[in-house]
Amino acid sequence: MEIYVLVKQVPDPEAMVKVKSDTELEIENKYFTSYFDEIAIEAGLKLKEKFGGKVTVLTLDNRKVDALRRGISMGADEAIQITDPSLESSDQFTIAKTLSAYLQDKPFDLILAGRQAMDDDAGIVGPAVAEYLGIPHVHSIVGLDVNDSKKEAKVVREVENGKENLTCPLPALFTCQKGLNTPRIPLVMNVMKAMKVQIKKVDLSSLGLNPGDVGSLGAKVKVQKYLPPAKRPPVKMIKEDFPDNVKMLVKLLREEAKVI
Amino acid sequence: MSLDFSFTEEQEFFRQTVRDTVNRLIIPRVKELDEKEEFPWDVWKEFASLGYLGLRHQEKYGGMETDTITQMIFYEELARGSCGFAMSAIMQILMGTYFIARFGNEEIKQRILVPAIKGEKIGTICFTEDQSGSDLGGTRTLATKVDGGWRINGRKQWVTNGPIAEFATVMATVDTKLGLKGLNFYLIEKKTAQRDGFAVGQRLHKLGSRCSVTGELVLDNVFVPDENFLGEEVGKGVQYAGDILNEVRVMTGMNALAIAKEAMEDARQYANNRVAFGNPISKYQLIREKFAKFWAWYEASRTLLYRCAWMIQSKIPCTNECMLAKYHSTEMCMYAVEEAMRIYGGNAFCSEYPVQRFWRDAKFLLYGGGTHEVLCDYLGRIYCKD
Repeated sequence: MEIYVLVKQVPDPEAMVKVKSDTELEIENKYFTSYFDEIAIEAGLKLKEKFGGKVTVLTLDNRKVDALRRGISMGADEAIQITDPSLESSDQFTIAKTLSAYLQDKPFDLILAGRQAMDDDAGIVGPAVAEYLGIPHVHSIVGLDVNDSKKEAKVVREVENGKENLTCPLPALFTCQKGLNTPRIPLVMNVMKAMKVQIKKVDLSSLGLNPGDVGSLGAKVKVQKYLPPAKRPPVKMIKEDFPDNVKMLVKLLREEAKVI
Repeated sequence: MSLDFSFTEEQEFFRQTVRDTVNRLIIPRVKELDEKEEFPWDVWKEFASLGYLGLRHQEKYGGMETDTITQMIFYEELARGSCGFAMSAIMQILMGTYFIARFGNEEIKQRILVPAIKGEKIGTICFTEDQSGSDLGGTRTLATKVDGGWRINGRKQWVTNGPIAEFATVMATVDTKLGLKGLNFYLIEKKTAQRDGFAVGQRLHKLGSRCSVTGELVLDNVFVPDENFLGEEVGKGVQYAGDILNEVRVMTGMNALAIAKEAMEDARQYANNRVAFGNPISKYQLIREKFAKFWAWYEASRTLLYRCAWMIQSKIPCTNECMLAKYHSTEMCMYAVEEAMRIYGGNAFCSEYPVQRFWRDAKFLLYGGGTHEVLCDYLGRIYCKD
């Protein structure tokens, strides 16, 4: 099977993120591979182990390639970085357009992606790539069983109060949800391989795209303003004695915090 | 001359990968490992299966042949998870297998080194005795030449992994009167040595690094065949030990670096949340000073340690620098864990918070690679050109 996995390097949840200006964030230099993408890589590797073939990790990022190295260290065969100065300030749609431009002439059976990136939590790129490519997609799967000879996959996804079983013809795109698998811990042998791997770089001109189609120029979503989270209000001490303090607590939870 | 202190993108990736591995394999278990005070076989097996035990050994034996800086990054990140587990793993990677890889014949390497790299056979090295440790010249374990090999008699103490080791590199003297000039290394294999007088003695219950099992090994007329003599020439043991001591000292410093950082990161979070007199205690200058001092000393230690790693890698003589780095980083660590305990106030005194574990673990680092009293005496003498 020919499998592509879309991956993204995201800020570590422990990284300090500050609002630098209305449209700019200052992010501490601590990044890691989005966890849902690791689940997608693991799913791809399991299929490769079963059916043979090749797993390629693909990212669109001008700076960070550790997600690609992570993919190689887990066992992926090839790593591709789409990079071009005009891709700066891309939104989810221009990212999807660029990724699909790369993928459109590739002989893939399956594209896997995380259900959402762990920084913007948008969950758009995966489905949008499928739309641009005109292939079916299923979002947020927790089960995957491929029949390679029939070129179809049975997938499971969680729905409210239950699970939904679907059959989907291949090629298709699935986004992967927690529960599908547990991503493997890389063997040090593969880590060494990942440290030395030649990452294939692809620029915009080779994709037949114009700078006006992508990046900030082609983006449908424009950041108007970043706002930091509101500061926590000071602790309110309830001064009344029992049982009045309980009544006061319930009143505050209901009327001020509005949580009950 | 270029002066570049940055890590490469590949080294940063390696660090992140080890960090992630430690976060997943070790950190969720660290409290339990400390409390149980047992060797964590399940963690060991999973960790060994990833291949890290071969980090510095040749590929043909299953190793990775990484460079010194990569190894030091690994030691730093591993100790961040659990100092005890790091002690056991680093014993296997570095001291416990070094002389076998260097002097063992091919048959020994296949029999001992290959399974050691897979984590199937646990190894150790034994220097310390009741009257010798940093003072290796005081070694009393005696190696007597006999037909086809040697007979070893003595008791070794403070042996990391000792109670579970399948093989041990033992330092012994051919004559106690020769001091440092009589010392050699001998490979003792438990399976065959047990037929003679090899036995595990008392197991120690330690203040910290508790999941690394430590104890005494008793050698009562144990026969060691000639091929298990680890060296090219009799009496060169101290010289051979010196060849690895720089790495051992910088490695110890890396452990100190990791514990110090973990302790102070933990204390920082606590200080930002613990409110006293209406403010988080991190708003008070006396608390802030602790962080400022730590930060300055931590950065100095880190720079010095990685400079030493670079010097070892570049084969630049650096014995004094490595001693300074070990001394500075471990003292910095003592400061960090002590001040972290003070920042925690009374809460430091209960096992609910990890800060007491950092404090206990850190103390173990004062002794390996030479006590600070011995190091300082030597360094002072060198500085004064005495």
